[in-house]
Amino acid sequence: MRAADAAYPIGAAAPRESYLNSARIIEVAKRSGCDAIHPGYGFLSENADFAQAVADAGLVFVGPPAKVQRLLGEKTAARRLARAADVPVAEGTEPLRDAAAARAAANEIGYPVLLKPAGGGGGKGMRVVGRDEDFEAAWRGATGEATAAFGAPALYLERQITNARHVEMQILADGHGNVVWLGERDCSIQRRHQKLIEESPGPNVTDGLRAKLGAAAVRIAERAGYVNAGTVEFLVDPTGQFNFLEVNTRLQVEHPVTEMVTGLDLVALQLRIAAGEPLPFTQEQIERRGAAIECRITAEDPFAGFVPASGRIALVREPAGPGIRVDSALFSGMTVPSEYDSLLAKVIAFGANREEAIARMRRALEEMRIAGIPTSLPFHRAALFEQDFVVGRYDTDFVTRWDPKNVPDLPDGAIAAAAVAAVLAMRSRGERRTVPVADPAWARAGREDTLR
Amino acid sequence: MRYEVTLDDRLVRVDLGEHGRFTVDDRAVAADVREIVRARQWSITLDGESHEITVVTHEPLRLDIDGRDVRATVIDERALRANRGAARTRTGRIELRAPMPGLLKAVHVKEGDRVAAEAPLATLEAMKMENELLAPSAGRIARVSASPGAKVEAGAVLIVIADD
Repeated sequence: MRAADAAYPIGAAAPRESYLNSARIIEVAKRSGCDAIHPGYGFLSENADFAQAVADAGLVFVGPPAKVQRLLGEKTAARRLARAADVPVAEGTEPLRDAAAARAAANEIGYPVLLKPAGGGGGKGMRVVGRDEDFEAAWRGATGEATAAFGAPALYLERQITNARHVEMQILADGHGNVVWLGERDCSIQRRHQKLIEESPGPNVTDGLRAKLGAAAVRIAERAGYVNAGTVEFLVDPTGQFNFLEVNTRLQVEHPVTEMVTGLDLVALQLRIAAGEPLPFTQEQIERRGAAIECRITAEDPFAGFVPASGRIALVREPAGPGIRVDSALFSGMTVPSEYDSLLAKVIAFGANREEAIARMRRALEEMRIAGIPTSLPFHRAALFEQDFVVGRYDTDFVTRWDPKNVPDLPDGAIAAAAVAAVLAMRSRGERRTVPVADPAWARAGREDTLR
Repeated sequence: MRYEVTLDDRLVRVDLGEHGRFTVDDRAVAADVREIVRARQWSITLDGESHEITVVTHEPLRLDIDGRDVRATVIDERALRANRGAARTRTGRIELRAPMPGLLKAVHVKEGDRVAAEAPLATLEAMKMENELLAPSAGRIARVSASPGAKVEAGAVLIVIADD
């Protein structure tokens, strides 16, 4: 909010009263003299009714129009459309009536199955069910989450594909019938179906597979009459066979990865498209170079099964330097609320190749500090050294297999210093007396020396 | 004052003497200690090596040392003496606490129920996610202290499990 030119309250912290309250948002937009609404990448960004309401109010919705959202936003309808566009789709069902019908369908497809909300993506309300006896609990949990996240409880089932990689294709379409693909992102490193690390190019995506995924994504977009930025998600199995997953009819959290390798500003292009301009380039003119990785630093404790954490941020230091971009709203003293998504910051590293991007990301994560609440930073630091990640041979089970105890040993000097600091930390907590604050310049000098 | 510090799996003995002199594992170290951010971040030069240590969280104690993560515990001399032989006086009751503030969506057990370790006990909605809270150990439900629909604070006791 501090970065905004103007700010208007839209309601209480509970999403239903503010960020999911379309009438209120449109009313505020009109009152403030806005001519367009960018829905971001959560909440109402994939809500066709909201897109329609924005258009009906005489405002521009920065994203695909309501009819496209309806075609693709309902996930089972999107699967039908993909099939019609000659794109392979994983075995699955239509929206399910109730738990009993769902259970019968699960037994028919065969466990493990994936329960997914028909109303929206992003991993909310998604559950893997391994056994018949776990089905009821999973159904209850997924229904509740789907209702809270999308205002719609409908669920459907899909066969769970194991050892798969989550590879998605960024597309752009203008209102003049031009559709292009910008390249893929591998987003296989996930927990609870929410992405933690994304990269482009995908380490196992050959030129041939990339071209096939791009063409499939464009076919789906053309068939849907797609306009604006979007992402077509696929699951790729170890043999390179792929299945359509869903279309995210919005900007993705991980869009910076594509911006880094293409040099394009996706949000600016979204605004140009929304303003009716044609795409300023053709498919042949799109160049991809180098490699980019994004780490999503979340308010979650990787040492406790990624349980979400909230509280006050005591200290922040964001990394910088060549090839490093940080998209965040973190500041020290801020309170991380429990009402919203746990994403705190995105750290993006770009390099001439994957090795350089990894080296730069390692350094950036080492430079970053967040204190006050547990964050996913320890996971990200460790993941960038995991052999499977380094060689690019990971799949969607990476986080499940990750052992938090598997961290590199500290050198002896660091152990001694950490032990001393641990004692001081405990004492400073117990004592309430004032401690004279030493000159921070000294420490800065110390840091700089070690960096030389 | 003597302390026993564990850093992940390593045990280190620290002696904090007068005038900020330290002994680490009975070896006197030449340390220059600067508190950069009060009770939160220190710069420690030890035998010519500079280290920056940040307290990520106090409870449990997690440290960031030069951009690497360590889980730590500290026991001081008095606690060490007091704890000797006290291990057996544990109450045999384990509390399931809310890991963060949220809305208690459901409680899956009632008082008197027997539960296995890692059985789902309650569902807490926080950060747009439903989090299943699992039994920290097997036992009998001695008390259910919160009901579905309640807003709970971090650390609130939700369920007490007694040894069977």
